[in-house]
Amino acid sequence: MKTNSDTYVMLLTSLPRPGPLFIAKRPPLSRLKLEQRLRVLTPEDAEKLSLIEKVLSWSLLPLGASEEDVLNRSQKAMEQLEDKTLRDIVKTRLEIRTCVAALRRRERGEPAPTANTVWGFGGKVGRIAASWAKPGFGMDAAFPWIQQAGTCLQNGDALALERLLLEQAYRNLDRYAGFHIFDFVAVAIYVLKWGILDRWARYDADIAKERFGSLVLAGLGSFAHISFEKES
Amino acid sequence: MNEFIVTLGWVGIYAPVALGAIASAIGCTTAGQASIGAILDTESGYGRYIGMSAFPSTFVIYGIVVMFTLNRQVTPDNGGGLFAVGLLSGIAFLQCGIQQGRACASAINAAKEKPEIFGLSLAPAAIVEGFAVFAFVFALVVSAGITGGV
Repeated sequence: MKTNSDTYVMLLTSLPRPGPLFIAKRPPLSRLKLEQRLRVLTPEDAEKLSLIEKVLSWSLLPLGASEEDVLNRSQKAMEQLEDKTLRDIVKTRLEIRTCVAALRRRERGEPAPTANTVWGFGGKVGRIAASWAKPGFGMDAAFPWIQQAGTCLQNGDALALERLLLEQAYRNLDRYAGFHIFDFVAVAIYVLKWGILDRWARYDADIAKERFGSLVLAGLGSFAHISFEKES
Repeated sequence: MNEFIVTLGWVGIYAPVALGAIASAIGCTTAGQASIGAILDTESGYGRYIGMSAFPSTFVIYGIVVMFTLNRQVTPDNGGGLFAVGLLSGIAFLQCGIQQGRACASAINAAKEKPEIFGLSLAPAAIVEGFAVFAFVFALVVSAGITGGV
């Protein structure tokens, strides 16, 4: 069952606007609050949203999952998504990861993957392998940032690379957001943007410390009040 | 055949009210849902959002006025005219109401983030209202040419 279109209106107006990437210190609302608001979605829509998040969020991938598992999972998710815009959003994000995977492989000095190697997502995999020697794998038109990402990898500048990739992912979502104001795609875009903002916020040492503290308290549960050291 | 034309005439007389009421209901529901969402996310200014969500209620009023203007003895001579003016003005109200509801929802969404643009954000909804006013005024003008009027 599809969520009533008016429900999307209510849901989306109840969500605070995500701030500009890299400027906002934390996501516009907590995950708990976001999930509370998302409860108005029908189970089918909620399942679809969770499917998209599971494919695109590293933290939701099972530990020890092989490249093949990840790709199979992505392929299955793409088959289940009916909406073309959602498929395009997921596809572009996975293609960005494929490009980065190719850059990392080349940086490690590995040769171009053979045709029967499972290593990347989408129709551009063959072209990337065929253009292995080119700095941007011949993908400069589709992904103008690819050479810059390669330079970041060469310099070992992980932070700049992460910034660049998150910026591309965020910009890609922004591009679709203009065409979807009050529908499920708009909800999915919001949640994915929230994920990017949350990921960036976690890189902040202070927030990480605060979050660690809250996780410890949550883990301690009813024993949180117990003090292990003598207070002076 | 005459009975059929007379029936169409009655449909034309009542269509503006029925379609105007549907327009207002849909428009107010869409904008109302937006205002409820905005209330969840804000700490003040609730009255403004609720007021904005009542914007599309004017369409049923236009419909009532057009109905009174068209209301007359329906005959085979004026049935076609009443049907055309009533139904088409009603469809115009219906579409304007639905779209104005969406415009109001967007305005509420924008005004909640930036309260200073509250007035400006209503401009698209006001422009849609202007189109409905055109349909309303010219329905009144044209109805004067239909036989059987006062």
